[in-house]
Amino acid sequence: MQINRDMNILVVDDFSTMRRIVKNLLKELGFSKFDEADDGATAWPMVQTGKYDFIVSDWNMPQMTGIDLLRHVRADANLKDTPFLLITAEAKRSQILEAAQAGVDGYIVKPFTAATLNEKIQKIFARVAERQ
Amino acid sequence: MTFATQIDKSKVEALLHAIEAGQSEEAAKLVDDLTQIREGELYQQVQLLTQNLHQTLDDLEEDAPILLHTKHDLPDITERLKYVMNETDNASNKTLSSAENALGLVEQLASSLEGGALQGFDKQLVEQINHELTNIMLAQSFQDLTGQVLNRVILIVTTLEESLKELISRSRHNFEAIPERAETLESKKEQEEKGMGPNVTQKSKQDTVESQDDVDDLLSDLGI
Repeated sequence: MQINRDMNILVVDDFSTMRRIVKNLLKELGFSKFDEADDGATAWPMVQTGKYDFIVSDWNMPQMTGIDLLRHVRADANLKDTPFLLITAEAKRSQILEAAQAGVDGYIVKPFTAATLNEKIQKIFARVAERQ
Repeated sequence: MTFATQIDKSKVEALLHAIEAGQSEEAAKLVDDLTQIREGELYQQVQLLTQNLHQTLDDLEEDAPILLHTKHDLPDITERLKYVMNETDNASNKTLSSAENALGLVEQLASSLEGGALQGFDKQLVEQINHELTNIMLAQSFQDLTGQVLNRVILIVTTLEESLKELISRSRHNFEAIPERAETLESKKEQEEKGMGPNVTQKSKQDTVESQDDVDDLLSDLGI
């Protein structure tokens, strides 16, 4: 399946090291257009511009959590179909179920590998292609 | 501990009777009576505990360890943990920069070799180097994971500090009046003799050198 490598990606994490790591891994996978946000609260107005084709977010952030950001996205008629991947240290079954209920497209538990990220992205966009 | 409010055998029998007779309202009332007795006991126990705690706090000397810890050590913990977070953040970012630079260099090297059309062993080698560099980058995620844990510990310590302050202010002690830790020359020397690691708190930074230049200056003043 062919994924559009030109898509705009928003990387949300309160730790700058993790944003950098995710960006580098995405670059390795051939993506090149990224923006960063250090919290759900700073990400939300960015997302609302409608610029992003894919959101990769952490869960545990000080102002607005990733799960809240996801709920905001899903509740907005214009944004609700944006693919959303959570990369987080939160690993409780109940949390993963909650994320699924909120409409997450993929869930990666930290620490993770480049192969896992690649696999999840493939899966997410295969499903997106099916939907269309 | 004995309490005046013991469970009455006749009440239990009455409850049994009410249940057997299908008098649900009466039974519910008796259950309420019985649990009230238990709640009363619990309340008395908590009261007793609180009194004990107050008494214990009131009896403390002005320089009791718990008072000194609350005033002088707990605020330090947060400062020390933040130092750890900063240091790991810096180190991770440096490592990431080096790995990113190396990836760029490998790319340059690859395109300059064989006109950029690498074959066989060379191609495999470049891929392996890229893979290793990616692993180095991924390993830096420890900074995020340990940082989240430290943030949580900082939150717990700060809450504990606030609770202890509150407790102290409710006793006869005045938090502001808790004295500085009496540091004798010997105890200070003993501590210095043991070594105390990096000086990361404002307080411990007092009387420290800023750089190797300071060290060299100091020693050269002594003719070394």
